[in-house]
Amino acid sequence: MNEALVRAANIGRTYGEGESAVVALRSASCEVAPANRIAIVGPSGSGKSTLLALLGGLDQPSSGVISWPLLGAQAGLRPTKVAFVFQTPSLLAPLSVVENVELPLLLGRVGRDEARQAALAALDRLELRALADKLPEELSGGQAQRAAIARALAYRPRLILADEPTGQLDQPTARHFFDVLLAILAGSDTALVVATHDHEIAARMAEVWQMQHGTLEVPR
Amino acid sequence: MLTTLWLKGIIAYRFRRLFAALLGVALTVALLGALGAFIANASASMTARAIADVPVDWQVQLTSGANSGAVVTALGQVSHYRAVEQVDYASVNGFSANVSGTVQTTGAGKVIGLSPQYATSFPAELRLLLGSSNGVLVMQQTAANLHVSIGDHVTIARPNLPDATVTVAGIVDLPQADSLFQAVGAPAGLAPTAPPDNVLVLPRDLWHQFFDAQTAARPDTVHTQLHVRLAADLPPDPAAAYVYVQQLANNLEARLVGQVVVGNNLAARLGGVREDALYAQVLFLFLGLPGAVLAALLTLAVAAAGAEHRRREQALLRVRGASTAELLRLASVEAITLGLGGVVLGLILAYVATLSIAADANLLATTTLPWTILAAVVGLLLALFAVLYPAWQSARRSTVAGARLVVGRTGAPLWQRLYLDLALLAIAAFSFWQTASSGYQIVLAPEGVAQTAVDYTSFLAPLCLWLGVGLLTMRLWRVALTRGRALVAGLLRPIAQGLSRLVAAALGRQSPTLVRGVALVALAFSFATATAVFNTTYNTQARIDAQLTNGADVTVTGTSAAPAGPLLGQLAAQPGVAAAQPLMHRFAYVGSDLQDIYGVDPQRIGSATNVANAFFANRDAAATLALLARTPDGVLVSAETAKDFQLALGDQLSLRLQTGADRQYHAVTFHFIGVVREFPSAPKDSFLVANASYIAAQSGNPTAEIVLLRANGSAKDLAAQVRPLVGSVAGARVTDLGQTAQAISSSLTAVDLGGLTLLELTFAILLVAGASGLVLALGLAERRRTFAILTALGASDRQLGAFFWSEGLIVLLGGGIIGLALGFGLAQMLVTVLTGVFDPAPEALSVPWLYLAALALAGVVSTVVAVLSVRVFSRRAVGEALREI
Repeated sequence: MNEALVRAANIGRTYGEGESAVVALRSASCEVAPANRIAIVGPSGSGKSTLLALLGGLDQPSSGVISWPLLGAQAGLRPTKVAFVFQTPSLLAPLSVVENVELPLLLGRVGRDEARQAALAALDRLELRALADKLPEELSGGQAQRAAIARALAYRPRLILADEPTGQLDQPTARHFFDVLLAILAGSDTALVVATHDHEIAARMAEVWQMQHGTLEVPR
Repeated sequence: MLTTLWLKGIIAYRFRRLFAALLGVALTVALLGALGAFIANASASMTARAIADVPVDWQVQLTSGANSGAVVTALGQVSHYRAVEQVDYASVNGFSANVSGTVQTTGAGKVIGLSPQYATSFPAELRLLLGSSNGVLVMQQTAANLHVSIGDHVTIARPNLPDATVTVAGIVDLPQADSLFQAVGAPAGLAPTAPPDNVLVLPRDLWHQFFDAQTAARPDTVHTQLHVRLAADLPPDPAAAYVYVQQLANNLEARLVGQVVVGNNLAARLGGVREDALYAQVLFLFLGLPGAVLAALLTLAVAAAGAEHRRREQALLRVRGASTAELLRLASVEAITLGLGGVVLGLILAYVATLSIAADANLLATTTLPWTILAAVVGLLLALFAVLYPAWQSARRSTVAGARLVVGRTGAPLWQRLYLDLALLAIAAFSFWQTASSGYQIVLAPEGVAQTAVDYTSFLAPLCLWLGVGLLTMRLWRVALTRGRALVAGLLRPIAQGLSRLVAAALGRQSPTLVRGVALVALAFSFATATAVFNTTYNTQARIDAQLTNGADVTVTGTSAAPAGPLLGQLAAQPGVAAAQPLMHRFAYVGSDLQDIYGVDPQRIGSATNVANAFFANRDAAATLALLARTPDGVLVSAETAKDFQLALGDQLSLRLQTGADRQYHAVTFHFIGVVREFPSAPKDSFLVANASYIAAQSGNPTAEIVLLRANGSAKDLAAQVRPLVGSVAGARVTDLGQTAQAISSSLTAVDLGGLTLLELTFAILLVAGASGLVLALGLAERRRTFAILTALGASDRQLGAFFWSEGLIVLLGGGIIGLALGFGLAQMLVTVLTGVFDPAPEALSVPWLYLAALALAGVVSTVVAVLSVRVFSRRAVGEALREI
């Protein structure tokens, strides 16, 4: 039982109160273990992003219990153990690519030089070294998303939560992006959970969870 | 349909920014509207006060053979009047009196004939000191010269006629002798003639009894005037009132060609006030306009803070097929809504502000309406510019991708490339030099000339300095943030710690937005500081002016016949009296010129009244008074007297004072030891100051006519308290500082800046709070995506704070410190440029430390509130922002 990175038991999330309350997630139970490759599929508004936010400790469930047996307390999850990748590149506009990548390391109080070295190494792995000093607005969509991956990988997190990371990329770019991501994670015990509409991408993951109207179906 | 939808959307989802911009427009409108009301009110009150002070509006001198009845009829056709009295003047060879066996005689004098109603119609002309007003009245100084009192006989030496004798019924003071005996019809610019020292006032019948014969024998020694109090409604503006009154007089003279010459005291007074009114106008504009400019800049900054949203929204509308014209139409609807809302709110605020100066304040009155319209038009134009210009600019970017550009490696803005900041500073320096070389003469209202002129270019110096330093601040901060990142990172290390390098880099790339905030805060702080320091200096000088005129906090003024000096002990013992000092006020002849001479105890006079360095040519009050104390026969001479008589320091002066038992003027030797420019209770032009002990010894009369009191608390209360005590001395008056300040309408410092000060300082605090808080809050709200990302990446509260507080600190401290320094510089420049406002000129700026502390606190509080509220807002909106990422 203790080998899970994150474990959710009957968690639910409701926004608002009374008649205007919106139930985004209903009594979901799941767990993510090291090296898991999981795709969450479902239509827009089905609760995928809500589930990822709860798994990453970005949000609190309205009901149920969530825990991180191998990662520790919720407060210490980010930036060291859990990393997010969002639908859009989510790079900070006023920082250069390398500064964006080293940001989580600096937030985790890694020394300046060490952070810079790790960031450059991550950019190397994603073949972005040449763009290190560019500003996000000077990158293409695919380059920016790869930079976001570099940022997620820089700290070598135990769990990466990607919320429709290829949603704004064209098909070939999206596939290339995913190839790179899976190649880098190959052999590591970093778990990857991806929310996606793309069934082709989902098919390349070891597990596929279904979301429908806030209800999660996890195959046994 | 789309327009309504768009408007609803803006109100529902962009309410905060719309409201902030609306507030900026409202502040601009309110400041301009209130400023107009203040100017109109100040002009009107200056006119009213000036008119109230004029003892006789017109002295219409009849030429020989003119019929006074016909003149009165013509006068009624020219204007309504409240009173007309005939006054007859006769010049005589002199007066004599035999009192207690000795005969006193005087030189040439005047005898005037008045009707019994004259004193009621023109109460300011006569002040009864002793006896009855029914009968023959002797002027105080004449009574002293002749040693006569009630019941004594005075003989009048009439030219070419036998002497006539009258019996004294009363002794009077003629406070307005200068105008009463003026040479009517003398060419403008001619030096005024001194009023006669010897005057008798006779009932009109008696005058005719004695002087009809003289009229026949020597018509050149007799003339008749009609003294007139007009009832015309004058325009509220002194310049317009001056022109109107002058035209009325011209009309009368034209109707009665050759029969009358009008001595237009009212026009002369209004002519003097014209200059002060123009100065008041300049002063209000100098002090108020930067506030309106600042409010406008704040509005533009608030609008600019939403530029990113606007760009994205317009790009999306364009993708959905909206044309540039449609985009601009939607923006126009927003601008008009903003403009109308801002104008309405601004006018309400202006109305409330004007109520503080007058309960019947009316923004739609004839004099204020142009200002109200101007304020509304400026408000509308500002709203249009704030919304339409950025909308038009972003409409030119046609793609969504283009609209996503948020920081960019942008080049320097146009003004920076054109060195506009340095050009403005150069203009400021040149304009200041030019104003200085003209002797700071920015208002011209030449005597006797209807036209007035204000050198509005003198505005350029402070305005260009203000804007130039604002732009220079932007340039320097931009350089510091972009090229001096290591330095900025070092400065931010205490707050940002390990993130200082990244924070400095982020701030560097956001420098266009950031330096705008810094410059606005600098301009707001400088406006508030300059206004507060100038107004405090102004009020201090107004108090010094009032004290100079009144003599002290409370002054008890007696006469030579009934001096206040004997009451010194009783007055000093009154509770609330901090110090009491006697002040001799006598007259002395310098050559043939009779001047006021003041006798003081140089070592103690400073305890009861303020003796400033500026009162003396050497600008050292302590040294001058010490020298006077060491030189018993020393005399300080006014600059005008020293010049007129070509005196040099160390010269021996022979002045004629009333001395000895015969009370005649005898020569007394003094030594000229210094030049005095001003002295408490002394006139502005010619006077002398000497040791009281020396005057007492030489004149044989040690009694001081005046007692100066310094109050512990309220001067007004002390004056009320000592009045009953002084009541026992006939003719003695008690005046306090406040009373005098009200009465000095010829001095600009009598213009009450209180209302304007309160209004400006309140606005200034709002602008400082707005500049340091609102712009920051709106800027940060705009970047909540950044903070959502940082939160998602796991930034702790402290690390998030590093980004928030670093920005806040740079905006507040970077702008605040420069603003305070600039404010002091501007205040000094204003005081120098507006030298004409001050009398005497201030020795140093008066600093309102409490207000400046409140200002700094307002800046700090608004920054803290802005940062905290943005943090709360960002944290609450993280989920929403993450979905948008």
